[in-house]
Amino acid sequence: MTPWRIQLVALLRKEIAQIAADPQLLRVLIAAPVLQLLLFGAAVDFEVDHIPVAIVDQDRTSTSREILDGLLADATLAPEPRTTDPDVALAAMDRGDVAAVLVIPPRTTAHRLSSRPAPMQVVLDGTDVRRSTVAASTATLYAARRDREGGPPSLQLEPRILSNPTLDTPPFMVPGLAAMVLVITTTLVTAMGLAREREVGTLEQILVTPISTGVLLAGKVLPYAAIGLMSASLCVGAGSLVYGVPIRGNLLFLGLAVGLYLLNTLGAGLLVASIARTQQQAFMGGFLFMIPAILLSGNMTPIVAMPDWLESLTRLNPLRWSIEAFRASLLEGSGFVELWPHALALLLLGSTLFGAAVLRFRRSVG
Amino acid sequence: MSRFTRRVLAMARKEVLHVRRDPRMTWLAIGMPVLLVLIFGFGVRFDLDRLPVAWVDLDGTRGSDALREELFVSGEIVLAEVCPEVECAERALRANRAIAAFVVPAGAEEDRTRGNPVTLQLLVDGSDGTVANAVLANAEALAAGAAMASAPQAGSWQQAAGSRSPRSLIATVIRYNPRGESAMFLLPGTIAYVLALVSVLLTALAIAREWERGSMEQLFSTTVGGLEIVLGKLLPYLLLGMFDVLLVLSVGASVFALPFRGSLPLVGVASILFLVGMLGQGLLISIVTRSQMLATQLGAFSAVLPSLLLSGFLFPVENLPWPLYWLSMIVPARFHVGLLRGALLKGSGWSDHWLDLLGLAAYATLTVVASAATFRRRVA
Repeated sequence: MTPWRIQLVALLRKEIAQIAADPQLLRVLIAAPVLQLLLFGAAVDFEVDHIPVAIVDQDRTSTSREILDGLLADATLAPEPRTTDPDVALAAMDRGDVAAVLVIPPRTTAHRLSSRPAPMQVVLDGTDVRRSTVAASTATLYAARRDREGGPPSLQLEPRILSNPTLDTPPFMVPGLAAMVLVITTTLVTAMGLAREREVGTLEQILVTPISTGVLLAGKVLPYAAIGLMSASLCVGAGSLVYGVPIRGNLLFLGLAVGLYLLNTLGAGLLVASIARTQQQAFMGGFLFMIPAILLSGNMTPIVAMPDWLESLTRLNPLRWSIEAFRASLLEGSGFVELWPHALALLLLGSTLFGAAVLRFRRSVG
Repeated sequence: MSRFTRRVLAMARKEVLHVRRDPRMTWLAIGMPVLLVLIFGFGVRFDLDRLPVAWVDLDGTRGSDALREELFVSGEIVLAEVCPEVECAERALRANRAIAAFVVPAGAEEDRTRGNPVTLQLLVDGSDGTVANAVLANAEALAAGAAMASAPQAGSWQQAAGSRSPRSLIATVIRYNPRGESAMFLLPGTIAYVLALVSVLLTALAIAREWERGSMEQLFSTTVGGLEIVLGKLLPYLLLGMFDVLLVLSVGASVFALPFRGSLPLVGVASILFLVGMLGQGLLISIVTRSQMLATQLGAFSAVLPSLLLSGFLFPVENLPWPLYWLSMIVPARFHVGLLRGALLKGSGWSDHWLDLLGLAAYATLTVVASAATFRRRVA
């Protein structure tokens, strides 16, 4: 064996002994991601439905009831108790209890019989843009249908959705969620681990040995990479068992993608550790990487909606590439042929993070 | 001054010294919320107007051209490219040049003039659920508008567009946010989320650190009690947190023109209760774990995802499955997001939000009492 291998093995033995000495932490590192995945897998629902609506029916005729039944038929709008007082309904909107108010003024029926426009009102809470868009479109659709007096509308839409045809949220969300929870364990734990050694003073003891910075950091990172791979496999297994996430792609490619993902999250952890002097600083620094990476990954809110400068900046976000790669591999069965740009981007970003960490570390020590 | 307050203040002074010894941390505690609110204020949005949509015209008549103009005139969707056949549109979808594509069937214009219904196909890229749902809702509304405008007696799609929906049944009024910017909806939530994270970050290590360094034993040799230590530890971070609140609110107002329509005392009281709850949550974790590594993990897990997914910040709590809906009752961000949204955007007051305040107060009391009690037991 060459000397660096002996050094690495010795370091790994030390790290593993250290991790094994804290079984509570090890359990958290392995189990917490899966538990969170199972818990929050069903939390996100992209489909906007059951919008709470207050109904003010001042007409109280069979026609007004028919209009309401038609509007509420597809469960996009969920009626709250009806009133005849618009002020009560608007106060409920102020409190945030309802997102829309339907007002059918008296004599709507009479208006309709004389075929004059019936001024029914839809009042929308504009603060929630998604809900108000959907509620408005439901009302317009109904109006269009009703305008045709029951006949089929002259223009119909037949939507066909490519990839993820049911727009079922959990299978779509789970790969992204896994990437989100794994960044918490892997990035924070590497950052904290090195910061602790610095705080306690054991880092200096290692530095007086002939071990090189590269080997030292590799020894620090490899055990956590193994833990990360383990909890990633648990996440994939649990996701497919509980939430029916298909595993269509090549497992080898998926493994490669997870490996490249870990290169980035662990590299970011090391970079934070190379700057932080205390565990508290490492904790905050880790968050400074994690939270923007999570929220600007396109997993929760669409990247298309971001301003252009931020949209281009998300190309530097390893989580964005990872989530897209995980999703395409699991849900669509894509492999290296389709996803090589993602793999390349992750490789470049990860090596940059790692390289920067090694450089900074060398300088801060020397 | 009673002995109790003196001890609490002495503890607080000790903690202030801790904080001041690490100026980097103070800068992070002040700079991070501002930075995060700025990034998310720009980046976390749902404004999906100007979505690129392709147009596949298998009909190729002047009538279908007019229909295209009618559908794209509003600017809610923009024409990405015009395709002669469906394969070309599918390529555009795969390459992300378009998010959806309308397909006009051959013979559409003929059907329309005869008074038969015309069915347009809409191809949607489902890979982003939010975008796909927005395209569906937009396209359906646009098609409904075009359908109303194109009664068979009208000469053409175009001619009808001028006299849009003469017999429309519905008038729509949008309150609070008439321009429909999602930033207004998301900013109060962003503020609550950022504060939740920073609070837990500040205190999760505050006691674990003392356990690790052994200074906790020194504290035990004094006469300071559990509640006094807990309150003393909270106080400096509460001040720091309130400073953050003022900072992020002014960033919201100056950078994003976030209105402040409601009562300042209401927002102040709610923010204090919210901060005490979240700081207390961090402190409780810190007492239970004793190791900083473990404290960071539990702190991150208890704050990052629950405050994001169960608070109504991005997705309405009413749409959560019932177990998660009940779980959201113990996520203070859930109450604070709703309260900030009401107080800032709608000008709602104390009477509208007493339930939110009650939730926040209950959580704050719970975490402080639990921290003090756990602490006492740990010491014994």
